[in-house]
Amino acid sequence: MNKQQWITCALEQGFESFEIYQEETRERTVSWYNGKTNTFVTSNVTGTSLRGVIDGKMVTFATEDPEDGMMVSVITSMKSQAAVTGDEEPGIIRRPEESKVTAVPGTWVRPSVAEITDLLARTEKQILAYDPRIIMASRIQWSEETAVRTIVNSYGMDAEDRNTVQILMASAAAKEGNEVKNTYESEPVREIGTFDLDKFVAKTCDAALNKLNAASLPSNTYPVIFEHGAMTSLFTAFSGMFSGEMISKGISPLNDKLGTKIFSEKITVIDDPGSQDTVSMYRYDDEGCPTFCKTVVDQGVFTTILHNSASAAKMNAESTGNGFKASYSSTVGVRPMNCFILKGDKTLDELCSEMKNGFVITDLAGLHAGINFVTTNFSLQCSGYWVKDGVRDHSVSLVTTAGNFLELMKNVTAIGNDLDWSWHSTACPSIAFSGCAIAGE
Amino acid sequence: MLEQLQLEHYLTLCMRSEADFAEVFEEFEVSETISALNGEVENVNPVIKSGISFRLYKGVQSVYAYTNNTDDDNLTALINDLRDAIGSADQGPEVKLTRVEYENRHPVKIDFENVPLEDKVSLLKRADASAKAYDERIVKVQGNLLNVKQNVQISNSEGRLISDTRVRTRLMVNAFAKEGDNFQSGADRPGGGMGLEFYETSTPEAAGREAARIAIVNLSAKDCPSGKMPVIIDNGFGGVIFHEACGHSLEATSVSLNMSVFSGKLGQKIANECVSAVDDGTIPNAWGSENIDDEGNFQKRRVLIENGILKSYMIDRLNGRRMGMESTSSSRRQSYQFEPTSRMSNTFILPGNASFEELFEGVEKGLYAAKMGGGSVNPQTGEFNFTVLEGYMIENGKVSYPVRGASLIGNGADILFNIDKVCSNLKTGQGMCGSLSGSIPTDVGQPALRVTSITVGGTSHE
Repeated sequence: MNKQQWITCALEQGFESFEIYQEETRERTVSWYNGKTNTFVTSNVTGTSLRGVIDGKMVTFATEDPEDGMMVSVITSMKSQAAVTGDEEPGIIRRPEESKVTAVPGTWVRPSVAEITDLLARTEKQILAYDPRIIMASRIQWSEETAVRTIVNSYGMDAEDRNTVQILMASAAAKEGNEVKNTYESEPVREIGTFDLDKFVAKTCDAALNKLNAASLPSNTYPVIFEHGAMTSLFTAFSGMFSGEMISKGISPLNDKLGTKIFSEKITVIDDPGSQDTVSMYRYDDEGCPTFCKTVVDQGVFTTILHNSASAAKMNAESTGNGFKASYSSTVGVRPMNCFILKGDKTLDELCSEMKNGFVITDLAGLHAGINFVTTNFSLQCSGYWVKDGVRDHSVSLVTTAGNFLELMKNVTAIGNDLDWSWHSTACPSIAFSGCAIAGE
Repeated sequence: MLEQLQLEHYLTLCMRSEADFAEVFEEFEVSETISALNGEVENVNPVIKSGISFRLYKGVQSVYAYTNNTDDDNLTALINDLRDAIGSADQGPEVKLTRVEYENRHPVKIDFENVPLEDKVSLLKRADASAKAYDERIVKVQGNLLNVKQNVQISNSEGRLISDTRVRTRLMVNAFAKEGDNFQSGADRPGGGMGLEFYETSTPEAAGREAARIAIVNLSAKDCPSGKMPVIIDNGFGGVIFHEACGHSLEATSVSLNMSVFSGKLGQKIANECVSAVDDGTIPNAWGSENIDDEGNFQKRRVLIENGILKSYMIDRLNGRRMGMESTSSSRRQSYQFEPTSRMSNTFILPGNASFEELFEGVEKGLYAAKMGGGSVNPQTGEFNFTVLEGYMIENGKVSYPVRGASLIGNGADILFNIDKVCSNLKTGQGMCGSLSGSIPTDVGQPALRVTSITVGGTSHE
């Protein structure tokens, strides 16, 4: 693709500005089952997304087949979009700015296929040998991806971000009597030689074994602790509420709430796309806007609306460098990136001890369907364990937790110190709440 | 798409290895999403997806590669990576292809690519106007119109060369209702495996009204009581109960690895006798239909459960090898970027004999789930969950007040036995199903039915 030729052609056809975004992804995946390699996947894909402003309106086109011979027809078809697009969404292509993020991504040591299969074989063997009640090791997989994003535009922008991630995944199933419970774990692996496989296997197997002998709970409102993984899932599901795109459209539960107390004063939320604590760091968002660290919620008070260029313009604000796409072919939305709740100083055991009697939720299911973003009501399948007199008592499964996220977040009693990013871009520590509705027997 | 000679060349190269089977999947997909808020277009997002994948089998081991760079150097390098991974060889059979022709079961009358943007935008405007006209408390309407044309060409080392064009359209309407501080939403998302003629029978006005109606109902809904109770699940998208609770656990993906609660249960009773269910990818122009599956086999109608007895799983070629069974033409994938596996198409419980009124008889206190949302399942444990978008309490055999915030959870192996009455009013609903091979369009469906006892999650404890 001759990018300069496309930009020149667009400007000649009357575009005020034009941008070419490309994402080149290389992946390698090896999965293991029953003592041998199950699947091997390798790929290279480049996705191209074009954006241009014409008559003040943003028009787009995404393709995996950016032939220069299609240049005129593609740009002409983009022009035709302007006639039907409304005036509400401001069309903005950004001018180049230097990123102030100075941190550099951590290094990843790319293993050979032989090293990968050796790791997978050891993972399977160790899981199966961990406990007689472990009946199956499955979904054992190594997955690695390198993605390079480039953004060039008619204002001379030439921004690039590069991220790599390598992940080991495994599932273990445990059985006792007729009861089968399973778990699925994943961890980033920067270098196989220094990776603590024993710890990973123990975490995977213990999670499955701990779910055995589970009972339901009588329906009631109980003190609860959302363990860090479950808390991260719940917080992620509602993190779109900070989006200026949603707020400017009037469909965020935080409409008109800037500067007001929305959560308990124990809660502080930070968004830091350039964080070096995370697996993937971003110097620029997907519009080429430099990213920076900001406090979104400060001791319970909503202090920063996250913006891309368009939502910022609609609300007379500046972009916060949160203009990210769901994929190369998506339009630029607003997403938190490397966003977390500031950790406290208590261990999970101390949270349990303080709660005395209550329910620790370790897993949530059905998050894609069981939340109402507008009302922040949720009703979700969950499992975990009951805490009696401050210590773990028995496992709990097939119950639901339901409530209102904004109300729940006002009733925080304590915050744990166990913030764990793993390979995610959102993270929370375990959090204890005074009460939440649980439905079971 | 590559020429036949090129395909034969690459397949022959693939087979110069220890592989016993090789397949090429090519895709060229044009899609277009038009998004509107309050009838005003926010953006138009046309996307071209174009790529190719190679898959080699050696027994039950598979290697897979995909790219959108079809330069010969890149394709040859990818194939050589696969040959190295599965075991390279100097010799192998020469592949000769024969194109398979067939009659298209899913004809398209109005191709979205030939329709001016303004006409497609008018569909969104009609839905918006209809939703707003339903009730003055409807304050916002979001609409998305999705049109997709996916061309695929599949060839393999057995000499089969076959193509398919899948055209789909879907209108997604979200209506938001406000009364004081009470802000609620409702949605309707009809779709079909056809062109824009779909909207001649499934009108944008109907979708707008339905989304608005649900939002208005939810304004007056009370918190849902929780606990175990009888639940009547209405037809249409209510079929998500079967999709989640049982359908996924009948896919060979989990069955073949002994990771399903239904592994090894063919011929056994797994449901109440009033339950029969099928997965049918042949229904003309249905949302989850296609002429061929993503391994190039003609789609089929599969009887999964007949009068409570498990009759068939849904099986793809690779898992069929693991199970010692033939493929049931159930192999599907989101795109060339996903290795295909066994998936559902249009899956539904067949009509029974009960009348709608009979379902309510004798239910002193229960839940009537008029509209279901999505859900998920853990096939290994059988535990499932799904949400109720529009629900009502049943009191003394009658529909009472509306409730919100309800979810249903249970175990797939148990719930099939707890369905005690099935009505005759079969209807389907459209969804996107996510699993190992990506997100694919599937119809779910059922007649209204009654589950004698299921755990309802809510916030109110009575």
